[in-house]
Amino acid sequence: MAETEIHRGGVRPPADFNPRTDPPLDFPDREFGEMTPDDYAALGFMAGLEVHQQLATRGKLFCRCPAGLRTTRVDAEVLRHMRPTLSELGEYDGTALMEFKTRKEIVYLLERGTVCTYEMDDTPPFEIDREAVGIALEICRLLNLDLVTELHVMRKQYLDGSIPTGFQRTAMMGVGGVIPFRVPDLGIDRDLRIRQLSLEEDSCREVSDVGHRIVFRTDRLGVPLTETVTEPEFLTPAELQAGARLVARVARATGKVLRGPGAARQDVNVSVAGGRRIEIKGVPHHRGLPRLVHVEAFRQLNLLRIREELRRRGVTPEMLPDPPQGFAWETSPLVAEVGSLLRRCAFRPVLDAIEEGETVVAVRLPGFAGLLARRTQPGITFSRELADRVRVIACLTGQPFLVHSDLGDYGLGSGPWNQVRKALRAGAEDALVVVWGPRRDADTAAREILIRAREALDGIPAETRQAFPDGTTGFERILPGPDRMYPDTDTPPVAIPDEWVAEISARLPETPWERQARYERMGLSPRAAWELAGAPWADLYDELKPREGEIARRLADALARRIPWAYRRGRLESVIDPSRGVAARSYPYRLPSAQRLAPLVRAVEAGEIEPDALDAALAELLDRPEADAVEILDGFRKRGDEDARLDEVVAEVAARAREELPGRPVEVRLRWAMGRAMASLRGRVPAATVRERLLAALAEETA
Amino acid sequence: MSGDGKGPAPGSGAHPDDYKGYREPLLSVLKENGVTVWCIVRAKTTKGVFEGLILPRSETADPYHLVLKLGSGYNVGLRYDTIQSIEKTGYFRAEYRIPEQEFPVDPAKPRVKLFGTGGTIASRLDYRTGAVIPAFSPGELYGSVPELADICNLETEKLFGVFSENMGPEQYLVLAEKIGEAIRAGYDGIVIGHGTDTMHHTAAALSFMVQRPPVPIVMVGSQRSSDRPSSDAAQNLINATWTAAHGPIAEVMVCMFGPTSDRYNLLHRGTRVRKMHSSTRSTFRTIGDIPLAMVENGKLTPLQEGWAPRRDDREVEIHPVFEERVTIAYYYPNMHPDVIDALVEKGYRGIVLAGTGLGHVNRRLYPALERARDAGVLVFMTLQTLWGFVQMYVYETGREILGLGVIPLANMLPEVAYIKLGWALGMHPDDPEKVVELMQTPIAGEITPREPHDGYLVFQGGVPEMKEFLGRIWS
Ligand SMILES: [Zn+2]
Repeated sequence: MAETEIHRGGVRPPADFNPRTDPPLDFPDREFGEMTPDDYAALGFMAGLEVHQQLATRGKLFCRCPAGLRTTRVDAEVLRHMRPTLSELGEYDGTALMEFKTRKEIVYLLERGTVCTYEMDDTPPFEIDREAVGIALEICRLLNLDLVTELHVMRKQYLDGSIPTGFQRTAMMGVGGVIPFRVPDLGIDRDLRIRQLSLEEDSCREVSDVGHRIVFRTDRLGVPLTETVTEPEFLTPAELQAGARLVARVARATGKVLRGPGAARQDVNVSVAGGRRIEIKGVPHHRGLPRLVHVEAFRQLNLLRIREELRRRGVTPEMLPDPPQGFAWETSPLVAEVGSLLRRCAFRPVLDAIEEGETVVAVRLPGFAGLLARRTQPGITFSRELADRVRVIACLTGQPFLVHSDLGDYGLGSGPWNQVRKALRAGAEDALVVVWGPRRDADTAAREILIRAREALDGIPAETRQAFPDGTTGFERILPGPDRMYPDTDTPPVAIPDEWVAEISARLPETPWERQARYERMGLSPRAAWELAGAPWADLYDELKPREGEIARRLADALARRIPWAYRRGRLESVIDPSRGVAARSYPYRLPSAQRLAPLVRAVEAGEIEPDALDAALAELLDRPEADAVEILDGFRKRGDEDARLDEVVAEVAARAREELPGRPVEVRLRWAMGRAMASLRGRVPAATVRERLLAALAEETA
Repeated sequence: MSGDGKGPAPGSGAHPDDYKGYREPLLSVLKENGVTVWCIVRAKTTKGVFEGLILPRSETADPYHLVLKLGSGYNVGLRYDTIQSIEKTGYFRAEYRIPEQEFPVDPAKPRVKLFGTGGTIASRLDYRTGAVIPAFSPGELYGSVPELADICNLETEKLFGVFSENMGPEQYLVLAEKIGEAIRAGYDGIVIGHGTDTMHHTAAALSFMVQRPPVPIVMVGSQRSSDRPSSDAAQNLINATWTAAHGPIAEVMVCMFGPTSDRYNLLHRGTRVRKMHSSTRSTFRTIGDIPLAMVENGKLTPLQEGWAPRRDDREVEIHPVFEERVTIAYYYPNMHPDVIDALVEKGYRGIVLAGTGLGHVNRRLYPALERARDAGVLVFMTLQTLWGFVQMYVYETGREILGLGVIPLANMLPEVAYIKLGWALGMHPDDPEKVVELMQTPIAGEITPREPHDGYLVFQGGVPEMKEFLGRIWS
């Protein structure tokens, strides 16, 4: 286990800061895809994963509602608020305070088939679901975690409304595991340390979040979920992606986890040298992970550059004090109400706000001139950091949430800016920000802008961020403090008897790395073995039992090529019932049966069909699912007249090549002729033979 | 809060809580390894190595597991026979105290007295052990519900430290006297913090013991303790305090959530209210009538007419008496007469029957009821249907039971009848006729002359009109 430190009567997890404190400020901005592993090392890039995986149990974790159902039906709504509870030190947790500042109305949409009064915090928890504990234990064993002997259900506070109780019930199952991490493509061959696995209840699905009203669906709420946390040991974005795939494979190996949209989601934590751990929450796909963390690494670097510049300019936190009680524009020289000054400006959103009686406020940020236009992410500047805060915390709804004086061609004109500048006695070295909204929200917004500006002097604020499809991120919440975890007094501890663990250990499935090694022993390349071990058709492959060596290799290639191909052509039926998740082993679509494909593999093994033809024959079996397999295979079988046929085809194709491609180089004619010839000979004559004969025929002519 | 990082020096006197909650076989394991509760340790077990802080063990949990708080904040249990060694790496002991902030005083605001009975209206959690620490002093309450300072000048007095289920006549009497004192001392309203389980019993008792109060007497509690972010405690407390400080209704009331949503509170008359669900927030319901009022965000909307208005005088009648030898007998088919005989033999002076239908029991009980009457035990009839009136003339059974001296109590709720009977016998210990007369005369709305059409509304889920109603109720 990592070093621990005494804190507030407990023991604290490793620090949130990157171990390297020297930010590489001169490192050039590079796009994703332009970076080598050495470049990431120079950045001090470090990343870790928290993988959330829904389990395929019958019921939810603490009530007897069915798990894994999805619905958009609404039978009723419940409205709640979240109120921060004081920590043991009598302080409000940072996150808690922020959530309270937002004064949000939280609306839950209920559907009677998927949610009961437990999830709505109107009935105490029932006994923890044994099936879920069993599956989680199985995953723990696969991850080689040290198991606890007694589960203690804890409450992890979430005040964003995503759980109606205000906390998530969660229990630690195992700590300190190590698994083999071997990804040939990336040159990875080492151990991956797994910090811990906990079993917890899933949260709500967000429907909308506008202004002071956030709406959630509750069908997913309470579904059992494992959270697997890795040590932050991924050193490049590609490694992180491979790690996420590996952890997902382990869970799927049990065959007892849900698949489909949202069934597995990861939180990623990233930092660079001089930076701090930033968590990007709820990324549903592995595909976008590398770009996402690349962009975040550079956002951190850019924030550190802004910090450096602010320090150089002599800006200090004392220059950005919080306004005293009362409306900020009445109590702080950095804030002014400027609605009357802007009555004649040309900027529509501000004019609309004034018309609707909203308050327009300007904030002066001393020494910030030019910095708000600094790039932090692709197509995004530092001003977005402020805009995100006022949107989330002050609940402003008027796009674009704010305008600032570093914008030359958008927002207020130079005339209005000068007036605002005068009103706030701002110099050329200061930046100005204008926001608008209902009076109380405008006050919150002004205060929040000062807070975020002050945080720029510290560098990177501790926060969680949400991922956008383009690889950029936006502010989500302040990072919760360490005090948000406390014991659940509603549930008794649950002993995990050795016999139960022994029973699970006795029937553990093959691990992904065992599978990977087995495929390599069968003759697959390390890369093909890694890919196949994680492929949805790996079980199908095993059922087909290809002979080691060439046929094993060819079958792996053909499946990897043809199954996604057949899906794209609409030949595989989707098995995702939109109203239901799907138990693993099944893929999002229905795979062909081993029964249909086995005769092909056997025929190739018996020499009745050329190995060359395996791919084409497989394609046809998949493409014509209603056609008779025997008939299809017959079309690929050798017939005994191969030699005569070969002579015939070679002569004919060579002649046509002469006619259609007169004077072209031999290679061009050969390529053209191979395509023609193989169309009639595939499966019956090896390609190498055809090529040899064609080459001879074409060369003859040239000579 | 303090922590010296060293712990008790070897040989120094042990702290009484050193092994809090631990029994054999774990106690020996702790002692052999020289560690106590609050030690930071590295425990080697057959399952692996675990590092964390040793926490006290709940006394009701099994004796086999050591509780460790890990660095991640999670607690885990380690079974004694898996533990190979425990190495102490530190010590941290913390004392918990709820931080107080001075409750701001504003002479322009009304004065409200909050009596505490032991239920936790406001509380905070010890984050490591999960123990709930009640917050009660004005400063503590202000710390957790600062909105109270906008409503009134709050003063608090803790009367008892008992859970709701342990509230009884002894406490009712003290509470009634204390309310009398507070009224005479000039408070503008009274709030009583109470556990929810028996809140309606206490509300009934105070309705009879404190008559014609000039100011609101508001009972309040919470269905979710205030250490939970989604607690109903703050809203309940804010609305109850507002009602006491500014509300126009000078009666004993219960102020709890209306719907399960965080919307408004209802004010229920103390004699008509009943807890109807074990755990939901909207558990309190007025039975056989509609609530007195809704209250929300400093706005009280009366739903009923005819309530007693707030007065400027300081007059109030306090009748703090209670005869404890009264009981409720909940009738069931084939109830044997010896159940009633036993009560009579044991010296009970009054029995409230909760009968079926319009107020019925089986013939088998008749001889026992006769024996009770002859022994001078007063027997009253109420309804286990809760809604509706006792009407014993409709069926022959009813007329027969009346003939046995059983006295019908109209639409008085069984629990209210029990409380009223104890009180009435206390008022007139030697005059059964007066007791009967008192029981049948409404004092605080415990019997109403009529049931309005919306006095009985137990909606049935699933039917189309309810689906429609629920689907659009908050949108
Ligand atoms: Zn449920």
